[in-house]
Amino acid sequence: MVLLFNIIFQVSDAISFLLLSAIGLAVIFGMMRIINLAHGEFITVGAYGTVVTAKMGLPLPMAMACGVLVTIIFGFILERLIIRYIYGRPLDSVVATWGISLIVSQSFLIIFGPSIEGLKSPLGSFQMGDYSFSEYRILLIFISFLILVLLYFLFMKSRFGTLARATIEKPITSSALGVDVQKVYTITFCIGAGLAGLTGALYIPTMTCVPSLGQAFIVSAFVSVVTAGASPFIGLVPAAAFLGSFQTGITFFYHATIGLIGLLFAVIMIIRFLPSGFSGLIKKGK
Amino acid sequence: MKNSYFIKNKFQTMTFLVLAMIPLFVDSYYVNNISFFMLWTFIALSLSLIWGKGGILSFGQAAFFGLAGYSFGVIGINFSGVFGVGIWSVLIALIITGIFGLIVGYFLFYGGIYDVFVGIVTLSITLVFETFMSQTAGPEWTVGIARLNGFNGMQGMPSIGVNLFGYNFEALDNKGYYVILALAVFVIYFLDKLANSKFGLVLSASKEDRLRVESLGYNVKRVHMITFAISAVLAGLSGILYTNWGGFITPESMGLVSAALPVVYCAASGKNNFFAVFLGTILLVWISQELAINGRQFALVFMGLLLVVATRYFPDGMFLYFINQISKFSKKLSRN
Repeated sequence: MVLLFNIIFQVSDAISFLLLSAIGLAVIFGMMRIINLAHGEFITVGAYGTVVTAKMGLPLPMAMACGVLVTIIFGFILERLIIRYIYGRPLDSVVATWGISLIVSQSFLIIFGPSIEGLKSPLGSFQMGDYSFSEYRILLIFISFLILVLLYFLFMKSRFGTLARATIEKPITSSALGVDVQKVYTITFCIGAGLAGLTGALYIPTMTCVPSLGQAFIVSAFVSVVTAGASPFIGLVPAAAFLGSFQTGITFFYHATIGLIGLLFAVIMIIRFLPSGFSGLIKKGK
Repeated sequence: MKNSYFIKNKFQTMTFLVLAMIPLFVDSYYVNNISFFMLWTFIALSLSLIWGKGGILSFGQAAFFGLAGYSFGVIGINFSGVFGVGIWSVLIALIITGIFGLIVGYFLFYGGIYDVFVGIVTLSITLVFETFMSQTAGPEWTVGIARLNGFNGMQGMPSIGVNLFGYNFEALDNKGYYVILALAVFVIYFLDKLANSKFGLVLSASKEDRLRVESLGYNVKRVHMITFAISAVLAGLSGILYTNWGGFITPESMGLVSAALPVVYCAASGKNNFFAVFLGTILLVWISQELAINGRQFALVFMGLLLVVATRYFPDGMFLYFINQISKFSKKLSRN
């Protein structure tokens, strides 16, 4: 019983980590076909925003909101200055966002130094058998699924979602019908940035606060989006579920690094034999 | 003879001659430094081949760099003292890297992975290499007698060269400079020939429209896979020369930052032109070394800025743009 609970906890923890790290990337990629290599740095911005405001005395949830807000503003400025000029040039967008990632991560190193004092993990932990579980991590599992549900409603039920989906399908037609395509792109990019910032804000109490903390997320984020396939909205959940269970399984028997390598190996196998990813599999099933 | 390669590319040949004469005039400290700048050109050229000519953006060059460097080190340490280890350990390391490149290329291109996905998968490979090597600090991580040594990196490998009748022909200092320069001349010549061969034309054509080239009966996947392997070997060459130059290699050489550098060199120089990439890389490594005196992070911020500005304003390469402007300007002057 305890073992079963432990396994469920480990697997859902891994899945929610994959989901949260990938969600901002998936929104931006799914909508605009831009792979945002500065995704890790967006997460860092959210995390630092949270830590700095929390140190100024704000309660943690408020500090997290500030972190997200800072990331949204940051994303907005970047979109205005650089990203909007490289829509439709996917490879160039990869390169440009990588440049941004270098600038931001190294600037953080210059401004804040190699590390700042982090936050304490909120809530406590409880004991079950021989294992101890962090309540905060269990909360994170629920939050990650809540975010997915909210995003589903935002993109499937709201007016903005309709406009956004129309813009992905046929940008020129939507523009002719009076949709402000540029504005839809800007808002979507800001949503993606905000989600990345939220990931940083949510995870920072469990991590050490270093300028390269975003790098811990990007491999998971990229592999989830890649295996999710061409439409990450549909494929992300099954991709994260599969990869999360797989990684936990290997980590359980060997150790974390082997788990990461196994993850990559699984990804290469999936895209070798399932080129359109999980979303392709689902569409074929329909 | 009139149309020979070296006469047609006058500027290139002259630059190489000037570079060949440098050791006659400057201190060996600077010569050694210029060898360091030049050894980075191979990884940049490797990316220029696969990205500039092939239209495939790979972030895996740093992984090949590290793989070759570590293989060279492991073989060298295990067989140090065996005759000619400084030569054949290089060859074996390159072969290992080439085979690995071929395997990765097979999985990528025969799996139908293209565009940005290639970038993501290759970046993940690079980062996994780094993660793996960083945790090999313990004594259990030894290959033969070579300690991988985790984050601090591996060291103590014998340098490139051969010990003949008690004479040491080691590729260090001025001799090393000429070895690297000769390799650069050969590699650029080889790449230019390759790009203009039928193979290279299929490669360039498939950048424009993969499907059309395929329906004309060419095996585009195989062309891409082989190109990927060649570029892996070239990146590996940089890794070996780097390991040889400093006598050590660390997991950091496969990190996110190291993976970004070849992309910066190519994007800023002009990724379609091998010679521009060669010169641009030397210039950029030099500049970043000067900037790094105040701390490596300043050099990297500069590199990032360069990358953003180059993609935003000079999609064909900043360095090449300025060279073309200058040559246009000088033509105008000579006409008047």
